[in-house]
Amino acid sequence: MEGGTNGSQVVVSTYNLRKYFPVRGGLFSSHIADVKAVDGVTFDIREGETVGLVGESGCGKTTVGRLMLRLIEPSSGHTYYRPPADVVQKLETDYARLRDMPLEGDNGTPESSPEATAALRELDELATSHSLYRKSHKEMLALRSKLQIVFQDPFSSLSPRMLVRDILAEPLEVHHIGNRRERYQRVAELIQQVGLNPDHVWRFPHEFSGGQRQRLAIARALALRPEFIVLDEPTSALDVSVQAQILNILKQLQGEFHLAYLFISHHLSVVRAISDRVVVMYLGKVAEKADTHDLFVRPLHPYTQALLSAIPIPDPTLHRERIVLSGDVPSPVAPPPGCRFHTRCPAVMPVCSKVEPPLLEVRPRHWVACHLYPQGIDRASEAAPTLAAGSPPMLAGAGS
Amino acid sequence: MAIAESTITTEEDQLTGVRERPVPTTAAVRPAATPGEVVLDVHDLATYFYTYDGVVHALEGVSFRVRKGETVGLVGETGCGKSVTAFSITRLISDPPGRIVHGTIRYQGANLLWGLDREAKFKPIKNSKMVKVSRKFRRIRAANERMRAVRGRGISMIFQEPQQAMNPVFTIWDQLGEALYLHRGIELLDSLLAATPDDPEVGPALDAFVEAARPRNAEQARDAARRVAMAVQVPSFETELLQTLRQASVETDFDRPRLNSMLKRFRLTPLQRSWLRRERRRLELDRETCDIYLDEMRDGHLHRARKAAVRSQRLPNSLRRFPLRLWGINRHVQKPVKRELYWQSVRLLEGVRIANPAQVARGYPHELSGGMLQRVMIAMALSTDPPLLLADEPTTALDVTIQAQILDLMNDLKTRVGTAIMLITHDLAVIAEVADRVCVMYAGQIVENAPVRELFEAPLHPYTQGLIASIPRVDRPEKALFSIPGSVPNLIYPPAGCRFHPRCPQAMPVCREVRPPVTDEGNGHQVACHLYHGKTVEQ
Repeated sequence: MEGGTNGSQVVVSTYNLRKYFPVRGGLFSSHIADVKAVDGVTFDIREGETVGLVGESGCGKTTVGRLMLRLIEPSSGHTYYRPPADVVQKLETDYARLRDMPLEGDNGTPESSPEATAALRELDELATSHSLYRKSHKEMLALRSKLQIVFQDPFSSLSPRMLVRDILAEPLEVHHIGNRRERYQRVAELIQQVGLNPDHVWRFPHEFSGGQRQRLAIARALALRPEFIVLDEPTSALDVSVQAQILNILKQLQGEFHLAYLFISHHLSVVRAISDRVVVMYLGKVAEKADTHDLFVRPLHPYTQALLSAIPIPDPTLHRERIVLSGDVPSPVAPPPGCRFHTRCPAVMPVCSKVEPPLLEVRPRHWVACHLYPQGIDRASEAAPTLAAGSPPMLAGAGS
Repeated sequence: MAIAESTITTEEDQLTGVRERPVPTTAAVRPAATPGEVVLDVHDLATYFYTYDGVVHALEGVSFRVRKGETVGLVGETGCGKSVTAFSITRLISDPPGRIVHGTIRYQGANLLWGLDREAKFKPIKNSKMVKVSRKFRRIRAANERMRAVRGRGISMIFQEPQQAMNPVFTIWDQLGEALYLHRGIELLDSLLAATPDDPEVGPALDAFVEAARPRNAEQARDAARRVAMAVQVPSFETELLQTLRQASVETDFDRPRLNSMLKRFRLTPLQRSWLRRERRRLELDRETCDIYLDEMRDGHLHRARKAAVRSQRLPNSLRRFPLRLWGINRHVQKPVKRELYWQSVRLLEGVRIANPAQVARGYPHELSGGMLQRVMIAMALSTDPPLLLADEPTTALDVTIQAQILDLMNDLKTRVGTAIMLITHDLAVIAEVADRVCVMYAGQIVENAPVRELFEAPLHPYTQGLIASIPRVDRPEKALFSIPGSVPNLIYPPAGCRFHPRCPQAMPVCREVRPPVTDEGNGHQVACHLYHGKTVEQ
């Protein structure tokens, strides 16, 4: 839980989310291993805010998005939708307290202090009462109207057999909102909100281009007046000119309806254009999270620095050093011990392969999980001047 | 943008490429490539697709040139004909429904579209927008046969989706090896026939390798392996030694008997030797045939006599006439070649920085991730050191970190071999990083053609301006994104006049009626737009 400085309310928050997919094989398809797709992810999203979730393919971005909507069940951890203030308070203190204790392994239960055990139990009780994953089917159905998603591929996320009008009216129908006439009025309203022509409701999805289809998918997500939308790579299948249209529409709708977005993407320039805060994931874990400007101007984690330096910049006059990461992302079935990035890290130290770095707030509102910053940024800049000096050369002057 | 009169280039200059073109003074960072010889010259290319809905005018009058050691970027939205251009150049357009209708494509002087007008006849169907195409399949087959001389050895291509471009039932090294054998077969057989496993220098070099291998001294082992390979005169043996060393467990003894048994593959039996010689002769004849095809396309007439001479010496591509037709003989004689192909494939994979190449080479395409497969594709395309590389969206499906690796690889090839690269992408940022010259395509036509700095500093065509303004910039986030209104037109009924006019913010009445000519606006900057009135370029 990040300490909120601005007054706006938290819409969705996840706490220590984990998802292990079992790998079955061998004799009688026994359970032989786990794909640790998501391994302890914590962040929250406030009203009218966009949080960007970035990382390479296979790092668990999409899984986090699905978990947050309860499209799949987590292995452990919680997601809260509009958590009451006292719960937030409680979780924050508990989290702070637990963070100071040595967290061990997956259960994270230091038996040493009874206080900690009590705190954990309290946390569990809170979780049972508020977590999205403990809601009944009926409660969930009511909640789903507030939590929506736009999928990556607009060519497969719209039914080819339905008229656009029926596609957009279906969510209203499922939730028994209005009579037929009112629903179709709402559809006409929606289709104009995403910048399409009201006549388009009489068409089928195949008659639209990729960008128009993505608009339809956004209109469908908006139908129930949600408060939180997961955007799962909404522009990666589109051309730049169309991508700009979609991003502008998303921004405009956010201003109009005060929506909270989780913007999942591997395209960092897009994330910079739309997000307020960014969470960088690597192999199921959060490597760094910070405000967008802060992250892009002063990335701290070596992985973030490498990612940023790899983005091509549409300016042929600009020349900069690139940090080229060698090799591929390791398999999430057997992630490397210690820091998961140490196999590719340009600033690797002996400790990295042994101890897993905790996610620490090394600067105000800037969390990093890296051994380069053991006590916060001031000490770190002395310890490792080359990397902690901040940004790769290309971004040093660019952000200002 | 001011038109610098002094820098206008004439058509003659570009054709001969001898005279130095005036270099813009702003070129400070990237050295402006001196105009080398033209490797690829596409002129007035038109490719149509004859579908049941009507004729899709996918390409209409596309002209551009690619010079030696130059990277030309081809950008545009989805469906603007970028890939069709690449497929037209290699003549891989699926036919039917597609056909190149007119134009010339000259690759190092050879006209790849020679005899095109005799390959098919087009007859409009009355009261319909459709056309009847009667194809002369004999001529199309002949053209396909001629293209064998160009594909792979002359023009290599990296396809957009490596999963679909690779064959799922063959291993990686099978497929890499096939490409190698087809295009580098003669060199490979020569090196096998010339191998000297019993050279007096081999023994001491092997001893040195054993010395270095025991304490696993990587640096020394590499040196020693290189020396062994030089003594044996087979470069791929270095890879074999090092990879075997890498895979061997620490306890395994790297002693002389084991190394000697590895050398065994170069000790050919007389039977193998005679088969290799015969195979070499066959490949030689094939290469001669390809050379004749190239000459035919260059001269514009058939070389019947030369072809007949080659054909009379032709050897069958099988062992049927071989003296012994015993079971297993095939396997026996081909074994040295196969092993050499495997290790050369591993060497290629090493070149594209794949970790653990010996194991990856034995794997099947589905076992690799998209990024690794794309690198395999690149290794295959580069294995022949082609004079021209067509890269069709090589990095679109990849993460930024892998993309950076692959762009580095392609740049490396350009500097090392002097390959000309045509890079097709919709990502202008990638273009800015690697291209020297950019062609912007819209709806099957090239609307702007300029050096990369020139294009990004002073884009002329309204479409290019919109395209550049719509890129989200990681270094300049404050700018609101611009978006071009509307979408790409239907190419069955392309807009009359300038194809961009329905979406153009500066459209004029003339745009609706007249197709804008390509004009030269100085600094090698060409644009097809009625807003500009430079000297018209002969298209």
